[in-house]
Amino acid sequence: MIEIAHLYKFYDQRPVLNDVTLSVQEGSIMGLLGPNGAGKTTLVSILTGIIPKDRGQVFVNGWDLDKDLKSIQSQCSIVPQSFAFYPTLTAYENLLYFGALYGLDGRMLKARIDRAVDIGSLQAFLHKKAEKCSGGMKRRLNLAIGLLHNPRILYLDEPTVGVDTQSRNYILEMIKKINREQNTTIIYASHYMDEIEHISDDIAIIDEGRIILHDRKEAVLTHTGKVSIQVESLSTSFCDRLKHLEGLQIGPKGILVDRNERFHTNMMQLFTLFEQEHVEIKDMTFGYKNLEDLFLTLTSVTLRDR
Amino acid sequence: MNKIIQILKKEFLIIGRDVHSVAVLFIMPAVFILIMSLAMRDLFDIHAPVQINILVVDQDGGPISKEFLNNLDKLDVLAIQKLDPNSTVDQITRRMFEKDYKFAFILTDRFSSFVENKSGGQDQKPLMLMVNPTVGTHTQLVLKNILGSNLAKMRVQTFIRSHEKWLALAGIDKQKLMEPVDTSIGIQYVYKNKQDYKIPSAVQQSVPAWLVFSMFFIVIPISNTFIAERTQGTLLRLKSINISKYYLLSGKIVPYFLMNLIQVALMILIGMYVVPLLGGTAFTLGSSWGGLLLIAASVSFSAIAFALLIASIARTTEQATTIGAVSNIIFGAVGGIMIPKFVMPDFMQRLSNLSPMSWGLEGFLDVFLRNGDIRDVLPKAILLLAFGMVMLFFTARILNKEFEGKRVL
Repeated sequence: MIEIAHLYKFYDQRPVLNDVTLSVQEGSIMGLLGPNGAGKTTLVSILTGIIPKDRGQVFVNGWDLDKDLKSIQSQCSIVPQSFAFYPTLTAYENLLYFGALYGLDGRMLKARIDRAVDIGSLQAFLHKKAEKCSGGMKRRLNLAIGLLHNPRILYLDEPTVGVDTQSRNYILEMIKKINREQNTTIIYASHYMDEIEHISDDIAIIDEGRIILHDRKEAVLTHTGKVSIQVESLSTSFCDRLKHLEGLQIGPKGILVDRNERFHTNMMQLFTLFEQEHVEIKDMTFGYKNLEDLFLTLTSVTLRDR
Repeated sequence: MNKIIQILKKEFLIIGRDVHSVAVLFIMPAVFILIMSLAMRDLFDIHAPVQINILVVDQDGGPISKEFLNNLDKLDVLAIQKLDPNSTVDQITRRMFEKDYKFAFILTDRFSSFVENKSGGQDQKPLMLMVNPTVGTHTQLVLKNILGSNLAKMRVQTFIRSHEKWLALAGIDKQKLMEPVDTSIGIQYVYKNKQDYKIPSAVQQSVPAWLVFSMFFIVIPISNTFIAERTQGTLLRLKSINISKYYLLSGKIVPYFLMNLIQVALMILIGMYVVPLLGGTAFTLGSSWGGLLLIAASVSFSAIAFALLIASIARTTEQATTIGAVSNIIFGAVGGIMIPKFVMPDFMQRLSNLSPMSWGLEGFLDVFLRNGDIRDVLPKAILLLAFGMVMLFFTARILNKEFEGKRVL
């Protein structure tokens, strides 16, 4: 459904997306996990045509992003992290306005609004000004607007930020329902690991603009077949020297080594390079307890102040 | 079509629910028009009758001084209040300051003999005028002139009466000689290009001035909604829907244009019907509806384009409202909104020609005061439209960068 190859994006010559290669299966939910500033929003913004990419190729449903942006945009919808609606309009007025912008009118518009209202359980505050609604209600409205034109792909950028547990669970169930009933492909960007673990079929971990791990959820969570090596930091040049080794997943603070047939050769070469480059090994573990454990190993995010 | 209707409807709903914007667009100019029309009523009313309040002490007390005072009393320009003939200078002075009289005069005991030419060149003046030093030179001259001419008239009449027989013998018509001189002076106002011209009253100046000023304050609601769209993520959603930026710009221009036209209608109605209720003169329209519509549309276009540029440059609503308000106040101060151009010195009048508010004001004054039509308004309208086009050009460039992701939202 979505194929991304060697995607780059720079801001002031600083790469915010660095050689991102990723594929998303039709009808799946892909959890895009990464700390704040990792590049999640930039990636989603490029995929929805909000900002242009600098290098690389993106195909959505067979359409080239460079050539068929309009076709792609007609099939997808973004629910941004911020509330993308007008606070002084009522929920219904917002739905009516965005529905019209999506090109809907008449009975079709009414039917789609009814459906969005139903999915988001917006009935109780439909004629209330959006600014007067609770955080959970606003999040549901934000999501409901994104469903109006029946998108085949739904990009959700931190859709549960600032809501209570009840609303959060409701939103997650709502997303699962949309995926299940309409076979909508969902890209769910978040830094909440439990949400990603709960909702996703596939998980991609992104940090400092790189995809450092991408696999089926089960495979990610059962990475006992891998060895995790934590180091102080890895320079870009060092990472480049490791690229030719198969079965490695490289992050700025650590490396995952597959226990495949090349495991021994890879480990030997790694230790030789560590010695040559004076890279200090901080820790070495086999397997992970959960996604958070894996995430922290790969990104060392707790130590970073972003 | 549904798209356009919903875009317009959305913008109207947002503006209508933004109490601050409504206050700035409608209440602020209405209040300014009312205050300025009433406060500056006398300043502008240059052809209105003047009345000078004056205290009088008649120390002479004779029939001549009484006749002199009666003659003065008949003049509308003077309101005479007689004091006790024995009042001293100190008492008169005290009374002047107590009752806020700017003038007093004393007819001394030799007033009659002076009028009859019997005084024989004594030093004492027959009439002593006392003046509050805060009074302007013009008013002093007016009063001095009135007293002097009446005094001279009385002396001439007394002389004629005392030489009646001789004049009759010489065949001179006594009545003709005694005819007041001022009735032989006619006044005719002359106008440039023989145009019909209304005398600029305070309301005739205030309505267009504060109307233009408030039309430019469209910057407040425009930047509120525009910047909110950017910061709240609505623009991201709009961009993902692939809505053209020109669509978005038009979606802003059309509703605010209509909003400006409502301002024009309302402020004119306030000038016509509310100002007179409070004691001001009623605002009157010109005769050219085409001219009025052209200048109103041009001012609106340039104000909206200017507002859009500020809203595109600014990152926050605070920035936009500050930049917008300060620019408007400068445009207004320079452009003859706050201080009428005709009281400015020459170099300031030339400077004011740089302000788009001045072009707008002059255009409205062409219609309201000079009975101008589309042809008279056209040069100002062209300037305003050109100014608006330049502003829109830069706005489009900034939005292009933003839409292409070269400018971080």
